[in-house]
Amino acid sequence: MAASSSSSRELQKELEAKANDLSKIQKDISKNHQVRKKYTIQLGENELVLKELDLLNEDANVYKLIGPVLVKQDLAEANANVRKRIEYISAELKRLDSTLQDLEEKQNSKKEAIFKLQQRIQAGKAKA
Amino acid sequence: MASRATIIPELEKMSVEQLKSIKEQSDMEVNLLQDSLNNIRTATNRLDLASIALRDLSLRPQGKKMLVPLTASLYVPGTLDDAEKVLVDVGTGYFIEKTMEEGKNYCERKINLLKSNYDQLLEVTSKKKHIADEAGIVLQAKMKQLASAS
Repeated sequence: MAASSSSSRELQKELEAKANDLSKIQKDISKNHQVRKKYTIQLGENELVLKELDLLNEDANVYKLIGPVLVKQDLAEANANVRKRIEYISAELKRLDSTLQDLEEKQNSKKEAIFKLQQRIQAGKAKA
Repeated sequence: MASRATIIPELEKMSVEQLKSIKEQSDMEVNLLQDSLNNIRTATNRLDLASIALRDLSLRPQGKKMLVPLTASLYVPGTLDDAEKVLVDVGTGYFIEKTMEEGKNYCERKINLLKSNYDQLLEVTSKKKHIADEAGIVLQAKMKQLASAS
């Protein structure tokens, strides 16, 4: 009797630990979603800017707002900057995608482990 | 029409629990979509105002006396310089110098883009709302069934 109840306590502790892990993974997943949203919005904005810059003639004036100062920029330079930013954001999004996949796999395997553990606990209770 | 009617038998097959969670999820999604719709409407209004201001500005002669806002409560007298050139904020801190004509064009283009986004979003929202409503109806019917059975 004592043996089975202490092992069921151990199982309970294990269950709690796994549940904590699961909730941490889920928090990471939702943080991932938030960062993803931010980057996607920035990517959209930068693509709009690129479209506008592409419509311009060579001699059009482009200014960049740096702090409280509007600084005249070279059209080619502005184009290059926006393109680089788009590349960087796309790379970040891809990285976030693979991290998300990882996290989701971990989440699923944790859920399975928890389920099996719960079954064991139930089986233990049924025997005792 | 047919595709909308076929979800009802699907919903009927589900348990009360599942229906509740589907309805909650759909309601949340509809709320988020409504927020986005409101945001687009606000942005479209702002662009409309900008377009109207541009049109008004183009009618004013050069050298016309005007009051320039420096803060929300401080205006300074000035004269209108060249209204043929305008600075357009295109996002991410970039400003482009355009002619009055191009500026008006820009406003038109942006307003049209936003309007088409709004229409697309409206379609998606109404579909989601339909699902949420159907789930609610089936849920209520099931609960009545259970209540009368017990």
